[in-house]
Amino acid sequence: MKKLEELMKMTIKFINKKDIKEMDYEENLKVEDILKREDIPIETVVVKINGITVTEDEVVNDNDEVEVIKVIYGG
Amino acid sequence: MTDTTCTQCGYEHVVIHRKYNGQRLCSNCFKESIEKKVLRTVKKQKLINKGDKVLVGLSGGKDSVALLNILNILKEKHMIDLVAVTIDEGIAGYREEGVRIAKDVAQKLGVEHHIVSFKDTFDFTLDKIMMAESKEEHPQHACTYCGVFRRHVFNQTAREYNATKIATGHNLDDETQSILMNYLEGNINNMVRIGYITEARDERFTPKIKPLREIPEKEIGLYVLECGYEVHFDGCPYAHESFRMEVGDFIRQATLKHPTIMYSTLNGFEKIKPVLKKDYMKKQTGLPNGTCSRCGEPSSDELCKSCKFLDKIHEKIRRVDEDDN
Repeated sequence: MKKLEELMKMTIKFINKKDIKEMDYEENLKVEDILKREDIPIETVVVKINGITVTEDEVVNDNDEVEVIKVIYGG
Repeated sequence: MTDTTCTQCGYEHVVIHRKYNGQRLCSNCFKESIEKKVLRTVKKQKLINKGDKVLVGLSGGKDSVALLNILNILKEKHMIDLVAVTIDEGIAGYREEGVRIAKDVAQKLGVEHHIVSFKDTFDFTLDKIMMAESKEEHPQHACTYCGVFRRHVFNQTAREYNATKIATGHNLDDETQSILMNYLEGNINNMVRIGYITEARDERFTPKIKPLREIPEKEIGLYVLECGYEVHFDGCPYAHESFRMEVGDFIRQATLKHPTIMYSTLNGFEKIKPVLKKDYMKKQTGLPNGTCSRCGEPSSDELCKSCKFLDKIHEKIRRVDEDDN
């Protein structure tokens, strides 16, 4: 059973300004889900995956580089 | 059609899902939609006439970069002339980057650009003011001074460069915040003055226009990124917890569940404004204004607000310098 859980895990590189870290999540999460877990208000940021701008509905894959760019202050 | 297909052109990757109208747009269609919308606002609200020289306050932040980039479309069509002015308030560790980006953007677009510093104009930096202010029992916020001096510089430079309009980067979020804030505070006199054009109270002031007024702030951020600009997204170190920020957070939260709320706030306000104006603009008599006896700027008092502040600040700085010696 543990093996299956591990198979369903993914690792992403998460970039939020100068804060760069590798993070593990279960697979099939959307950008929106990751922002919620990281407590980042979705309405104040633009997100790029591997350098390309995506919407909050985009599914994140293993080894993706997810960059969060804060465009609104407050929130 | 899937979630990743552009509703305009069918391209297979979208950069935005506009919940307020259901559109999903690719990068090109998104940029085009922003430019069209702004130029439509300019035309519909008669913000700019052929032959105008428009001064753009270019801080290097997303709003002013987007504004200059879009108004440059009109310049390239030889419909208007543009001049960009960057104010260097003297905020160490923050303003330098904005000034550098502003220079790059103006150069890239081939727009006449001037940098005006508080130091050269008033002989002090905002940092120096705030250092003196910190010794006071009830220190003023930096924004109180900054706002007054910036307005002063923009009004002066607009005349110096023969600008016929001053364009500012106020966006949909800014405007709905202003409307709601003034309403909640019961400040109807200020509220009725909010609009696409801030008509000058004195003909020596250049009219101020807000071409980005119908664009949500987040979309302006996305627009400049998609245009490939490097943008100064940092917040000002002197920004403080303010009522505006609270109202902004509230509206953004509400927008998540009610995506059209900013547009309905703005449109509803524009509908009731003519009626409010009838009663509340009557008090705005006493035109034309007088002249500040010191700097010659239009002013309703003997001294303009800027000169009054200057007196106070020079006195505070003098006291600090004396204490230091």
